[in-house]
Amino acid sequence: MNSCIILICKLISIISKNLNLGNGSTWPGHIALKINKNFIKELIDSNRQLKVIIIAGTNGKTTTSSLIANIISDNGSKVLQNMSGANLLNGIASTLLLNSNINGEISAKFAIFEIDENSLSIILQFIIPHQLIFLNLFRDQLDRYGEVNSIAKKWSTTLENISSNTKIILNADDPRIAWLGMSIFIKNHAINDKSEKKIFYFGLDNPKLSIDLLQHASDSTYCPRCETKLNYKTIYYSHIGNWNCSKCNLKRPDLDTSTSLIYPLNGIYNQYNTNAAVLSAKILGIESKKINSTLKKFKPAFGRQEVIIIEGKKIQLFLSKNPTSMNQSLSTIRDLGGKHILFVLNNQIPDGRDISWIWDVDFEIYLNDSMNIYTSGDRCYDMSLRLKYLQPNIGNIITNKNIKNTIKILLNKIPDNEIIYILPTYSAMLEVRKILTGKKIL
Amino acid sequence: MKKKIKYSLIIGWLYPELMSTYGDRGNIISLSKRCEWRDIDIEIRKLEIGFKIKDLIECNILFMGGAQDKQQEIVSTDLTKDKINSISKMIENNIPGLYICGAYQLLGKYYKKADGDIIQGLKIFDIYTENLEINAKRLVGDIIINPTIDDLKSNTLVGFENHGGRTYLGNNISPLGIVTFGFGNNGIDKTEGAIYKNSFGTYFHGPILPKNPHLADLIIKKALEIKYHKIIKLIPLDDSLEFEAHNYILNKLNH
Repeated sequence: MNSCIILICKLISIISKNLNLGNGSTWPGHIALKINKNFIKELIDSNRQLKVIIIAGTNGKTTTSSLIANIISDNGSKVLQNMSGANLLNGIASTLLLNSNINGEISAKFAIFEIDENSLSIILQFIIPHQLIFLNLFRDQLDRYGEVNSIAKKWSTTLENISSNTKIILNADDPRIAWLGMSIFIKNHAINDKSEKKIFYFGLDNPKLSIDLLQHASDSTYCPRCETKLNYKTIYYSHIGNWNCSKCNLKRPDLDTSTSLIYPLNGIYNQYNTNAAVLSAKILGIESKKINSTLKKFKPAFGRQEVIIIEGKKIQLFLSKNPTSMNQSLSTIRDLGGKHILFVLNNQIPDGRDISWIWDVDFEIYLNDSMNIYTSGDRCYDMSLRLKYLQPNIGNIITNKNIKNTIKILLNKIPDNEIIYILPTYSAMLEVRKILTGKKIL
Repeated sequence: MKKKIKYSLIIGWLYPELMSTYGDRGNIISLSKRCEWRDIDIEIRKLEIGFKIKDLIECNILFMGGAQDKQQEIVSTDLTKDKINSISKMIENNIPGLYICGAYQLLGKYYKKADGDIIQGLKIFDIYTENLEINAKRLVGDIIINPTIDDLKSNTLVGFENHGGRTYLGNNISPLGIVTFGFGNNGIDKTEGAIYKNSFGTYFHGPILPKNPHLADLIIKKALEIKYHKIIKLIPLDDSLEFEAHNYILNKLNH
């Protein structure tokens, strides 16, 4: 039956691409699952060579997936990946069927799936991953995802039943993520009893990069075991750092990977993404030399520090979709000496309808009077209003709802050797890219 | 020439670290900038876990934001009888305050959880909140209300709500406004928020004050009037950007 499904869905995908109904990255999977709800499980079970790596977390999923995919494929194995917008069950089904032949055979050795926070437990009902990577957990789209604690709870319940064949890779510097590993280690005998190591931690050990104070939008600053306020020896960003609890003595677990010779992307958050990818590759047995040669030539995933040259001028996109990702983008741009900054704020469904998060961003730390600041997108007035209320004031902000016109004005205005930094939300990033490259992505 | 008095206000921000989830600090930013632009000295006093009552009672405006359930439990244990009495006395004495979402619920009589457990409130507002079914739909989305009090009647209030609890008003309290779009207190009786003396409780995130500068100014004006015992007329500010953002919501929802 699956052969029929694959045939029909491949046709649908081709038709929808040709009619320009989007590129068909979720539709076919939706139909496949309607016809056979075990489609994903059956397809994976019948391709025994296929190892699945699942990546979860609020920020960094796409970059980390892309890093791992590049490392594995440079090492000579065929990899398939879902697109970042196709991270629900139907997106996974689509990715699998588009990468298989009519007989349901998949030639790839590895599948790398980034998964939406809320879909993880559902997807794990159908897939036993070879590796499961947890990057971080920040406040994001509270109207859609709910509060950080409720996601952490869901994940923790999901992990109670995880297969002992799955290797779990966790960010030790995010207390609630680390606790996922520490608590299943205590509870789960399957993981405990085997002599082979199942749980791995990455993090950073570079106190020079420490910031002095917790940022406003920090979420998990209380001990995940006893709820006492945590101490930090070093804070790298948000609630991420070398933490410990003075009451119950819980502390950051020992790190399996804390550094990489090469960091291909700017920003501390990308050091974490890189360390996660390096640890994943090492567990797969890939040599450091090979990992580094991939990192050296790595090109960013779309919208994530992606550089686009237009009319000889350089534009760099920093996807900024929640307080932590915005803080990290701004911090990186400040360190790069950025002068021309365009915020594009949308609140379409993929962005989250609620834009109150912009008031949790610490703009005042990163913006100054010498920068030219522009706002655009559906909610540009809210963005400009936020910036009007900065302390101290940062002077004139130019507000223009039309993204295309705003980019045109900026391109005309800036000298050739200077860079325009654009910080869009997710749907805004797709719009900006479409304007800049003439290509539609999802 | 008569020397002009330099006005000053202290905003008491209750549990900023624990009770601040949905951009609620935007309200503190709005109040303090709007004072600063009028040359009113402003002190933002953070009242964290373990704060002293003497630091609380000097405040001219109180603010408390929403929180995750876990955080709210930590706060409840810090609110001793003496602290509750002091807050209650300030509210009774017309000290203006703004209480968002979880804080609004906390001021009421009780919160009945989905599992039937009852969490006692501070019993300052004549309201109670219930969350009846375990999987009851959260009330989420843009919201528009027509304010009930004369000082605010010239304009709507707009924001974004996101709450599971349903709040019902008793006889001794009025709603902040009547819902024209969205859910409000409970999704049934068209009321949203509550006003008691000069204290405002609401489910509005957004945050509420930046896009509703008339409410921010009302709180500042009342605080000055209580402190200086006279009628205050605030210097008008250029609020065109504030109302562009406000009107975006009205236009989008065809209001």
